[in-house]
Formats: sequence, structure tokens, C-alpha cells
Amino acid sequence: MQILFYILKRILQTIPLLILVSIISFFIIRLSPVDPLAELKLNPSISKETLKAEQQRLGLDKPLPIQYLLWAKSFVKGDLGVTTTGEKVSVKLAERIPNTLLLTIIVIFLTWSVGVPLGILAAIKWKTPFDRILTVLTSIGMAIPSFFFAILMLIFAVKSGWFPVGGLTSYNYDDMNFIQKFFDIAHHLFLPVTVLFTLSLAGLQRQMRANLLDVLDSDYVKFARAKGLSENKVIFKHALRNAVNPMITLLGFEFSSLLSGAALTEFVFQYPGLGRLILEAVLKSDINLVMASLMIGAVMLVVGNLIADILLILTDPRIRAKA
Amino acid sequence: MKRILYIILSIIFLTICLKACIKRDIPPKERLNNRILKTDVTFKFPQESRNVVLGGVDYLQSQAPVGKFGGEMVVSTIGEGPKTFNPFTSKDAVSSSMSGLMFDSLFTISPNDGKVIPKLAKSYETKDGKKYIVHLRQGIKWSDGKPITADDVVFTWNKIILAGLGNTSTRDAVVIDGKLPKVTKIDNYTVKFEILKPFSPFIRLISVQIAPKHIFEPVTKQGARAFDMFYSTNTKPDNFVTSGAFRLKEYKAAQRVVFERNSDYYMLNKKNQKLPYLDKIIYLIVGDLNNEILKFEGHEIDVISLRGSNVAPYKIKEADSDYKIYNLGADTGTMFVAINLNPRRNSENKFYVDPKKQYWFSDKDFRTAIDYALDRKNMVQNIANGLAKPLFTAESLNSIFLNTKIKGHERNLKKAKEVLINAGFKYGNNKKLYDKFGNRVEFDLYTNAGNTEREAIGVMVKQDLEDLGMRVNFKPVEFNTLVNKMTTTFDWDMIIMGLTGSPLEPHDGLNVWHSKGSLHLFNQRTEDDKKDDRFTFEKRLDEIFESAALQTTFASRKKLYDEYQQIVYDEKPFIYLYSPVRMVAVRKKFRNIYPSQLLGITYNIEEIYKDKY
Repeated sequence: MQILFYILKRILQTIPLLILVSIISFFIIRLSPVDPLAELKLNPSISKETLKAEQQRLGLDKPLPIQYLLWAKSFVKGDLGVTTTGEKVSVKLAERIPNTLLLTIIVIFLTWSVGVPLGILAAIKWKTPFDRILTVLTSIGMAIPSFFFAILMLIFAVKSGWFPVGGLTSYNYDDMNFIQKFFDIAHHLFLPVTVLFTLSLAGLQRQMRANLLDVLDSDYVKFARAKGLSENKVIFKHALRNAVNPMITLLGFEFSSLLSGAALTEFVFQYPGLGRLILEAVLKSDINLVMASLMIGAVMLVVGNLIADILLILTDPRIRAKA
Repeated sequence: MKRILYIILSIIFLTICLKACIKRDIPPKERLNNRILKTDVTFKFPQESRNVVLGGVDYLQSQAPVGKFGGEMVVSTIGEGPKTFNPFTSKDAVSSSMSGLMFDSLFTISPNDGKVIPKLAKSYETKDGKKYIVHLRQGIKWSDGKPITADDVVFTWNKIILAGLGNTSTRDAVVIDGKLPKVTKIDNYTVKFEILKPFSPFIRLISVQIAPKHIFEPVTKQGARAFDMFYSTNTKPDNFVTSGAFRLKEYKAAQRVVFERNSDYYMLNKKNQKLPYLDKIIYLIVGDLNNEILKFEGHEIDVISLRGSNVAPYKIKEADSDYKIYNLGADTGTMFVAINLNPRRNSENKFYVDPKKQYWFSDKDFRTAIDYALDRKNMVQNIANGLAKPLFTAESLNSIFLNTKIKGHERNLKKAKEVLINAGFKYGNNKKLYDKFGNRVEFDLYTNAGNTEREAIGVMVKQDLEDLGMRVNFKPVEFNTLVNKMTTTFDWDMIIMGLTGSPLEPHDGLNVWHSKGSLHLFNQRTEDDKKDDRFTFEKRLDEIFESAALQTTFASRKKLYDEYQQIVYDEKPFIYLYSPVRMVAVRKKFRNIYPSQLLGITYNIEEIYKDKY
């Protein structure tokens, strides 16, 4: 009951936040000197009447605050509007979101199931050669910029011919049976997943290692050891439960990056996800599309944090008492 | 001691590595590109397709060599793919070309000389250039089996194009003196188009695609919004009723568009087998140029346009590769420096252009000096890697109306300086240029930031003009800001710009050259500018553009358009720089490839077939 009340309070708190985010992003996009009609204006075969009709259709002839209110009104009603080319924003997003989720969920699943155990292992084997080698490897992982790594991987795909150059499915995908389809997608996903996995693994592993090391150094762990508890019990029962809190917060952020976190890699690999769509929308000042994606990002962040906080309440009695 | 040994060893290792990277056998790029350009561009075409009647059906018989059926061609499109498959609402090149594959137009263009030749229609006749009788093919069908008749043509014109639905550019172009053409049905397979006075671009304008009446009619009744959404990219492939050689099979957003063969198409080969040869055409949607190149190297696509620095490495590898590079000659794109001749004031009574600068810019000698100071050869060599041709005319080099008498000139700094001095300009100390009132000649040169080619041109133009003693502030600005300057605020001195024209129809440049045009950049007027303050050469340009469209013979039009190019060359409101040369690489397994300077490579997609290689 208490938790339900807490969730409700948090949801109410997010409403002014979302309004603020929407106002700021709307005006920043609109005040930037990007004109969705610039290319039409430079086309010798476009008449003035056509330009005026386009301006009316996109609502560019009205003052900015009115434009914002019109957008907000339809957004609240659940209508995300149409893009500058007249397609429905909701349809465009729905085409891309599953692809992005497919990629990010695989990556998050892999990094957490590998990164956390590796972090624990490194902390336990602190200052052994194993830990040191892992440190070097993860430093390399953290040091390579994602787009650069992605480009290297693409060149590798071209030169070796072992992997397709970007994309998600082969052009004859529709003629395949289920098993072939599965392998086709896996074949395409391998490189982008490798890039994202290597990069986020490093951070996660370092974080887990640092947390656990911190805790292992504390008095109650020393006490538990002095008490004669087995090393396993000390680590998994006492140390780990206390070291896991920052990781839960991190998980909340991971949730928010489900849709936006892979944008750069998506772009390099020509992955048919949200990243490419939104980049183009920003460049063309396609306001409805940009606003929809920004609002989704904001909502995801808020929800991610909410989930993390709830998880924290569940795992940590100290926070439960405060809440 | 040990350390020194290590250092020496690592230096030796490094030199060996670096040595391995040096390739000696590759000739310098420029020389190679010059050689590529010199390989003579000869275009050969099979005879034109003929109309034949078989079993009461008017077929179009291709005269290209008979090929093999089957196989697929994978091509690419850069960007985010099509926005719609409706040919009447499409506003971008990608959507238009894809809907063009699905819906055939009445006429098409001969790849050889740009003549109007039959496609969906069988023929046309006109006597006075005012009345056009179009004969349709008998017995050909929409993809749902309904016949294609005069009703479809009349409906498309009266209820879609002339009614102003969708993209209105065709409608805007056929308005003559404020009157729309009349389209009427004569019988089931004959349509009459009528206009008030002869208008020579008209036959090209009525070549547009035709919609199936039984499918589009209910939609046109629901209004413009419904029409804009109709046949969008979300429509199920089976729902399209089309007339083209290929029909849509699959559209995957940001991935690909797959077209499959229309098995009941009206084109035949010489053995009277139904074309097209290919089973499928696949467009891969790639985000940028680099990815396209990678996909070509990875053998995922079969055709690629090569630009500038990419050509040389491909040419080197061509001999032992599975592709062939075609030189399509100069592009339709033109690159120019525009000079702002605007003498008017804005609504706040301020001059658009500083009067001191106006005095220079409006001086023909000043513009001539700039023209002579520009080093086009240098730009071609260094910016376009030698893969371009210097340009001096307003029409592009592949235009059928090109004025071949304009030969251009080399860079001549001495002559440029003489012209300036004769016009009253003076050189002070340090070879700086002053006008006769003692003002230092200094102005701004804009272009759009992010376009590396134009930025590079800007740097060269700046250097060339500073050799004349002028001071040039080169300012690349954001594209939209630049467009705003050109179309609304007019507060610019010089701009490096490019516009694409049509190699077939100079009248498309009306908006640029007519003094009332919306892109009359060098002396742009607003709607409120009623006073007639045209320069003498502007008046003549207006006359030429107004009368040339009314001429019915090619020769009489050519004479007028030659004069307009001469005027632009003499008066130099735009100083043209160069035209890039187009190169396309196609896998050798494809046959019946007849590259055309006007239409590119895959315009005859019905005739192209895949051979074993």
C-alpha cells in the first residue's frame, strides 16, 4: 500500500518535469535556424502557391507559442501528429522501436550476465594477474569510441566477407524458413552486438568491481571473516547485498537507454532502428517526430528511475524505512 | 646498452612496416583521372522500340538483343527511403523514381536525343501545337486485370492533376496565361489535350503517369488529406493496382524495397516474349555514401555511382574485377558564383546591398574581371579530382539546347587587372584594389556549411580574387540561413550555389531567369516590387523566356535559348565554374546496359538481363 502511494506520488511529480522538457525542446528546435522547407524553396519548379500551402499544412504560419499549444493538445490526446512528409509519427516509430529493442535488450542481457560475474570475480581476485589482465582489457574497451569501433568492425566485415555490411535482414528474408530467418538475424546482429557489448561491458565490470572492493574493505566484512564464516558466505551473503545498490540505480539508467543508447552504433551499421530515424528528423527539423522521440526518451528515463527506486526499496531495508 | 638495442630494433621494425604500406605501382591519381576522362565517351543505343499488334493487343517491342529471363538486380538508395508510393503526391526524387517503376507514364524520353517516345501511350499527333491527340494501347491492363483506357487518362488529369491534389508542380507548369488545359475523351483509346496557344514544353508535361480510375476515384472524393495518405508506404503490397514493369513486393522501413516482375507487361523482346527479364529489383536503403561503397565492395549491391576521389581506386581494380565503369559525361548539376545586383531597398528603407558595393557589382567590367580571375582548371583538378569539366554556360553540358559557340576562356589575371583599371579601379600600395572613390574592394562570399565541395570552391575563389587585390570574407553558413538570405532578406554579396536543371527543357529555368521568378537570385524582387527597374539584359531574358516556350520547332527554340546563354555569359550575373562528370560502376553480369548521358544507367530496366559471368 505504502509502495503504491509512493509510485503515485512519483508519477504526479513527473508531470511538470515532462511539460518543462517538452517546452524546452520545442523552442530549441524551433528557434534553431532549420527550415523544413529550405530545400523546396531552392527548387526552381516549386511555385509560391505550393510553398504557402506547405507552410499552412505544417502550421509554420502561426506564432511559436500557438504552434506549441497545438502540438501539446494533440499530444495529450495521444495523437503524435504527422511528419513533414505526411506520414503518421506513431506508425514510423512503431516500425523502428521493435528493431531497436531487439538490439538493446540482447546487449543489456549479455553485458549484465557477463559483466556482473566478471566484476565480482575481479574483486575477489584483487591484484592477481587475472584481475590485472581484466583491467587492461576493460580499459581498452572503455577507451575506444563506439563509432570508431563500429567502423573498424564494418571494415572487417567487408574485407573478410564473413559478415553482412550492416542492416538487419537479407533481401531474401521473406523467402526463408524460421530457422534460416533466425540465423539471418543473428548473422546481422553479431557485429553491432559485439561493439555495444564490448563497450558497456567494460563500464559495468569496473563498477561492480569497485563497489565490491569498497564493501570488502569495510568493518563488518572483516568482522564476518573474524567470526569464521566461510569466504563464500562472507561475499555472497554479506558483501554482495550491500554492493549491489549502485548497480540497481545503473539498471534504471540502462532502461532509459533502451531506445536511445545505441543510436551511434545503429547509424554506423545502418541498423533500421530509431537512431537513424531521429537523426534525419533533427536534420530536417521534423518537429513532430523529434518531439515524439524526445518525449519517449524523457518518459523512459523517468520510468527507469522509478523502477530502480522501487527495486531499491525492495532490496534495501534502510531506504524502505526512509520512504 | 640494452635499451639502445631495443630502440634500434623497434625502429627497424617500424621502417619495415611502413615500407610494406607504400604502394609503388599505383599511378598518381590526377594522371589516372585525366586518362579516364579522355577515354572517349561514345553512347550506342539499340534501335528504338516499335509498336506491334499481336492478337489485338498493342505491344511495345524492344529492339535490344534478346536476353535470358530470371535473376535479380540489387541497387541502393541513399537516405531514408521512399516517403510514399503514390506518384501524384511524391515530392522527393526517391519516392518519384520508385513510383515511376510501378506506374508507367504516357511517354518517355529517348536516351539518345531526348525526343519524346511512346510508353504507356501508343503515339501522339499535333498539327498546330495547341491540340494534342494521344492514342492509347488497346488491350493492355492494370495489374488487377481491368483495361487501361482513355477514362483513366481523363480522370487522372481532370480529377487529380488539374484539381490540385497532391504535388501540384505539374499543374503549376501547365498553367498558360492563367488557363488550365482541357482534357477530353474522344473514344475509349483516344484522348485530346487542348491549350490556348502553342506551348512547346507541353508534350513533356503531359507525359506523366496515369492512375487507375476505379481505384483512385473514391479517394479523390474524400479530399486532399485522404489523397495525401493514399498509397503510402504503409499500404499492403497486394493492394497496389499498377501499370509498370515491376510491382511492389515488400517494403521494410530503413532496410529495403523489393519489386517483383509484372508478368503481364506490354513490352516484348524480339522473340515476342513478355519483358521484363529480371524477376526482382531490390533497392537497399543505405544511410550514407560510405555505407553504399562498403556494400558495393561487399558484393551486396550491383550498381554504384562513383564520385570524385572514389573513381581512381575503382578504375585501378576494374581490370580484374567483376564490374565495369561507365563514363556518363557531364552532369546536369551546375556550380556557380552568384553576384547580388539588387539595387532596391527593403521595407525599412535600407538598401539590401551596401550602395558602395552595388556600384561595383552592377559594373559589368567588375564581373568580367572576376570571371577572368577564376581558375576553373585548378578547381577541376583539385576539388573534383579532375573528374569535371569547366563550365561557362547557363545550360548544363549535356543539355540538348547547349550553346556550343560559347567556348569560354583560360584564367587570365593580366586581362582581369586591365579590365578593372579601365573601369576606374585603382591599385594602391601592397597591390590592394580600391574603387575610384577610394573605397577598398571588400565583400562577403557565402556558401552552405557542411557541403565540403562548395567550401573548397569558396577557398579557391577567395584565393583567386585576392590575387586581383580584392578582399574576400569567405563565410560558410548553415544551409537554411543561406536559403533565407537568398529568398527573403537578400542581404548577401556573393554566393556559391548549385542548381539542377533539365537537360531537355530550358523552360524549367523560368523561375531563375525571368525577372518575376521566385529564384531570380541575382536581382530578386518581392511581390511588392511593382516598379519596372529591370536591367536591359533582364528585359531581353524575359522576352526570350516568354517567347521561346511558344515556338513549336526545335530550331527556332534553339536560336532563342542560344541567345539567352550568350547574354548570361556576357553579362555574368552568375559566373559558372564547372560540371562534375558522372561515373557509374555496374557488375559485368548485367547485359543490355546502354548508358545515356540524359537518363543514366537503369532507365531501360525492362531490357536489362542477368547473364552468367
